[in-house]
Amino acid sequence: MSTSTRVTAIDMVDVVDETMEFTLVDLCRAAHAPEEQVRVWVVEGVLSPRGASPEEWRFAGGALRRARLARTLGQELEINAPGIALALELMDEIEALKASLRRSGAR
Amino acid sequence: MKFQDYYQTLGVAREASADEIKQAYRKLARKNHPDLNKEAGAEARFKEIGEAYEVLKDPEKRAAYDAVGSRYGQGAGAGEQDFQPPPGWDAGFEFRGRGDGEGFGAQDYSDFFEALFGRGARGGVGGAGPRRGAANLRGEDHHAKVLIELEDAYTGARRSLTLRMPAFDDQGRGVLQERTLDITIPKGIRQGQHLRLSGQGGPGLGSGPAGDLFLEVEFATHPHYRVDGRDVYVDLPLAPWEAALGAAVGVPTPDGEVELTIPAQSAAGRKLRLKGKGIPAKGAGEAAGDLYVVLAIALPPASSDAARRAYEALKAAAGPEFNPRGALPGGRA
Repeated sequence: MSTSTRVTAIDMVDVVDETMEFTLVDLCRAAHAPEEQVRVWVVEGVLSPRGASPEEWRFAGGALRRARLARTLGQELEINAPGIALALELMDEIEALKASLRRSGAR
Repeated sequence: MKFQDYYQTLGVAREASADEIKQAYRKLARKNHPDLNKEAGAEARFKEIGEAYEVLKDPEKRAAYDAVGSRYGQGAGAGEQDFQPPPGWDAGFEFRGRGDGEGFGAQDYSDFFEALFGRGARGGVGGAGPRRGAANLRGEDHHAKVLIELEDAYTGARRSLTLRMPAFDDQGRGVLQERTLDITIPKGIRQGQHLRLSGQGGPGLGSGPAGDLFLEVEFATHPHYRVDGRDVYVDLPLAPWEAALGAAVGVPTPDGEVELTIPAQSAAGRKLRLKGKGIPAKGAGEAAGDLYVVLAIALPPASSDAARRAYEALKAAAGPEFNPRGALPGGRA
């Protein structure tokens, strides 16, 4: 394959934080996950959007990271949705413990 | 090019069954998955394992690989030899192992794999190729990571990022396109957050708009500061008299040095909070983080007569009432 290069300057970036929201369609596109998959993750508690029905669902910015993580765990380790929910819960717990270690001086 | 022993990578025998290979892969993949194992080298190992499994799980690829391996493995010092696939080695095989989505990008495979099975045998990065049957499609969203220093989150920064992705030229040929993006990283960004660059993802089809590019921000490990969300921690060593009598001490912060008043009678481990000196707010309505200064006490060595006499004098002054082990069961001074 040949290689070509172009340079683009970008001054406008959005920070995906808790003030930003994704619709179901946005999230599926950004996380490369099929809609049915995201619906299952919501049922299993992997993601907690606000809004009553899938059309009204709004996912906070942090959902992107979670959805991508869920997708890689599902795809690369072939873990099912309840397993993903459990893995993410445990990972959150490990992250909280690590943060408390960092606060008390461990690196 | 080095010959890759995929059986060795997965730790299975050459005659291992499909189930044994799958089991070995699952176990190793869980152990080395970069999302679960943050150790250096885990990601590289995970890719090796993925590549080995990609070949050994597919009966046809495995058979082709075995055929090459058996020819290659003959003769002394085979492992040291430079490996080149023999001409016509792949006659009679039709590789079908195509996955979807990202996962392993074409550039993740070893040269060895690419020599045998070709680039993108499992779909390219982000699957930028055209899809049939849809005239106008929004381009795919792409993902990448960007490493910044903690200081960059205080001031904002510019970063040049070079991305390589497969694309199609005017003649419809596959090319590897290199794009350099010169990006402004806003101040107030935090570890693990994503930046969205609208329209910088995969190109749309027909009149469809381009997708977005998401960049996951990662902070480089800092030798002095620790980060927890938007709060920052720094250890501040003090001389015993500074901690005991109080002092004004210069403290480095990612924002520049500040002078901090250490209250008298400060113990090691005491945290002093500098409000608003953590990672700054991104916009109105958001609070800046705090900087926590964690006190530590450095003892001067008792290496001279004068220093020893000073410690003896301190011992006498503190008297028997000072018991550092008073809180321990049966603690005696």
